[in-house]
Amino acid sequence: MKRSILLLLVFFAVFLSANNLHAQNMENIWFDGLSRSYFARDAIDKNVTDDTLSARNISNGYNLLDLNTHVNPLKDIEIFAQLRIRNSFGSFFGSGTEINVRQLRAKGVINDKIRFSVGDLFLKQNKFTLYNYDEELTGYENEMLKPYRDIIHYENFYTENRWRLQGIQTDFSFEFDRFIRSLSFDLFVTRPRGSSQINETTYSSDLLLSGGSMVSQINKRLSLSTNYINLFEVASSGTNNISVRNPVYDMSLLHYFANDKYQIEQKLQSGFSQRYWLHSEIENGISDSTSNDTKGMYFEFDNKYLEKDSTIMLTFGYRYVDPNFRSSGAQTRRLNYAEGTSNKIYPIYTNMSLIRPASVFDLVTDDHLYNQELASTLMVFNPIYSNVLPYGDATPNRTGIYLMTKINTKNKVVISKINAGFYKEVVGQGTSEKRKFGLLKGAFKINFHKWMKWEKELSLASSSESELTRRGGEDISSINLFSHQMNLSVNAELIKKFFIQASYKHFSADGNEFLTQRDNYGNITYFTSTQINQKDHILSCGMLYKFRKNVYANINYNWWGTKFTDQPYSDYKYNRLIFILSVKL
Amino acid sequence: MNIKTKLIFILGLVCFLCNCTKMEFEGPSIENLYGDFELIEPLKITNKNPNFSSNEQVGFHCVFNKPVEWEIRVLGLSTSASKEISGFSSIIDSNIVLWNGGPSQLPFFSEEECTIELTIENEVDTLRDTLTIVSSKTYEDGIWLENFEDGLPSDGLVHYNSDGGAMTFSLANDDALLGSSYFKMGGRVNWDWPLGNLDLPINITNINQNSDNLYINIGILSDLEDLHTGQFINILISEETDTPFNDNLNNNASDIFESTMEVYKIKVPVDWDGWQIKSFRYSDFEPVSPNNQDINFNMNPNDIKGIRISCQACPSSDGNPICPENFGKDVRTDIDHIIFTSNSSLLDQ
Repeated sequence: MKRSILLLLVFFAVFLSANNLHAQNMENIWFDGLSRSYFARDAIDKNVTDDTLSARNISNGYNLLDLNTHVNPLKDIEIFAQLRIRNSFGSFFGSGTEINVRQLRAKGVINDKIRFSVGDLFLKQNKFTLYNYDEELTGYENEMLKPYRDIIHYENFYTENRWRLQGIQTDFSFEFDRFIRSLSFDLFVTRPRGSSQINETTYSSDLLLSGGSMVSQINKRLSLSTNYINLFEVASSGTNNISVRNPVYDMSLLHYFANDKYQIEQKLQSGFSQRYWLHSEIENGISDSTSNDTKGMYFEFDNKYLEKDSTIMLTFGYRYVDPNFRSSGAQTRRLNYAEGTSNKIYPIYTNMSLIRPASVFDLVTDDHLYNQELASTLMVFNPIYSNVLPYGDATPNRTGIYLMTKINTKNKVVISKINAGFYKEVVGQGTSEKRKFGLLKGAFKINFHKWMKWEKELSLASSSESELTRRGGEDISSINLFSHQMNLSVNAELIKKFFIQASYKHFSADGNEFLTQRDNYGNITYFTSTQINQKDHILSCGMLYKFRKNVYANINYNWWGTKFTDQPYSDYKYNRLIFILSVKL
Repeated sequence: MNIKTKLIFILGLVCFLCNCTKMEFEGPSIENLYGDFELIEPLKITNKNPNFSSNEQVGFHCVFNKPVEWEIRVLGLSTSASKEISGFSSIIDSNIVLWNGGPSQLPFFSEEECTIELTIENEVDTLRDTLTIVSSKTYEDGIWLENFEDGLPSDGLVHYNSDGGAMTFSLANDDALLGSSYFKMGGRVNWDWPLGNLDLPINITNINQNSDNLYINIGILSDLEDLHTGQFINILISEETDTPFNDNLNNNASDIFESTMEVYKIKVPVDWDGWQIKSFRYSDFEPVSPNNQDINFNMNPNDIKGIRISCQACPSSDGNPICPENFGKDVRTDIDHIIFTSNSSLLDQ
């Protein structure tokens, strides 16, 4: 009740003050935002006969408006508030209508020299210290499923691989006329999690994340950057006397060379991490102790070749990440497979009321499966969908080489991408034999309209992604897991701005793996042997009307499901009709 | 640096990195986890003649070559009482896996010979041993206890529907849970839910347990012979501090369980044969009047002033036939040994 009153007060305060400002000076306040209408109707496929307990079809939807208010009381200060008004379909007379403050931020420049931001921040450093890696199966996805992805990213604040955090940030730079060219600093302190009551007498501690970057342009070709980040708990803010500490130190040297045809970038990057739990014994009058102390390092040598006309981009390199390298800011996953996370669409299925395992369709469409909070220990992952680099480039216990290319024709008739990697574990898990990993992803898009010089768009896109995991040695511990995803999509503009779309996505995984179980301190406690043989599919067709960029209406129909072979799950098939009207203000 | 120097530098660094980690492998050995089971150290018992009344304990020790699902079962040869302890580990540590003489469920152990069996999931062999209980565990050690051994407490109040048939709201000595006396609650009121209740005053102002650490345990007797399927017990606990326990002397019930007071409740369906001990964490009790804004529901065990054990059953007569299948059946929800314990339930003490 109090919270609702507070929100209303904030809402009216902002709007009334905004109107006042508007009346005084229109340049001091401006608005943007996003509006979305969403309707989905899910239905059990008519061929499914073993689920008579679930509703045959379910529909839901909502209208929402995210209104961004930017207030500039001074030239160098901006106050930003994002207010969300959301109304679920079926709600009536305000019940089911939510009004939330979704983001609040103040930012400005002090004396034209020091920039600062307070409130909701979107932070990123580099791929080993603070980086919000893309979720699995996204890199080569077809255009037709993009509206789903857009919603997932928007609702979970995933922008440019940044983590959304709340705190304070500042950056400033110096320029020099001798020895080095420039020196830039970026510093922040945030609180990813506040103290909260666990039960009547126990409170969790505040979790803080602080860090800083220093980048120096030494000369025209050479720059040096260092990064530091530390995730830590403040034990005194809770009742637990145990608090985590996870500092990560990073340094990289970038060499840059360019002429009028191409440019080359070479980067040497290395660093190390420490993670331990501090046991505060101040109440007992003895000195503090630590436990579960792990230290690990990483190294990457990255080479990039880029043609100036953007027709060829080639990246290759070598990477080593120690088994004990732990970086909460870089190893926290978007997809959350923790116990208790269930699918939003038909979470229970069959007449035995089984919990439905997630399929590719759930990963593509269900924004509730995604995580926004940094984790101090490695999160659970599903080897079916991502086994080679489940924590991105910062995945611990990997060493290997990688290659990425992007080749376009000059007129963009054909666009192609290839991503390959060959890795192995630094040490084995549960056995001295090491897993070996192979990764091969390829995609192309043919823009027929550019080829034929048509005004209206006609394009065909296809991609293939394969992951192979193998471990030899004794039969009892050997592993052979192969997963493959295939995408095919067609986009045809029938009349101006009106598109017909069709796509097919097929995913299969076959083999065996050992799922890793860890304790609260991230130590491996058990390996669960699992056999995998499943095939997921999504067939979609629909229509899209693009009013302009970022303003579109989309209606499509999806047939999707999963088939298990020799698995303790039952197959399932569902259909979905979806309508999305998205307007970026 | 020329290319040759760069390559030598990179190769040297790679060789250095490959030798960085000294671990052989992470985690437990898969060959152990999924290999053949082996017993490394046999089952050992730390106390073959435990005197549980003196708070002695029995520790169990055993070591396997891999983590397994194990279960230890202690069976009293005279009483058929049993205690099961289970876990998943490669070591059964006698400092951690301890038995204090209590059963998993009734009956209690007495001074008797006991067999001990250690079974491993998916393994055919069972490890066996025996022990002799010199003195059985006592269950008198609690924050507050009412065992009816000295009759009904003088300030306790009994109220029941006197129009019912075969009403049994009185002490009995024929089949007590512990000791010799227990309180019978039952009878037949076909037309209404409440049969009657027993109200007892409580004074535990000097305890420092919070509601998460306070357990209310009660022995309840029923029978499956012609079971009344709609019978249950409501346990009400009052933290009313202004009204005296027996404010109105003209009625036979306490006056601190009104809907306008800070009263908490829990419902216990009674559908078993014989005695069972039921244990409830006080924090699991719910407010009786949660929507009453005038009541500050702030559980504080120090403020507990009384407990009501209320016998109720689903009515079955023609006038109110909600449970017609129970027509003509007697309700039986007898009780004994109401005890408040701290930190764990009575059987886990």
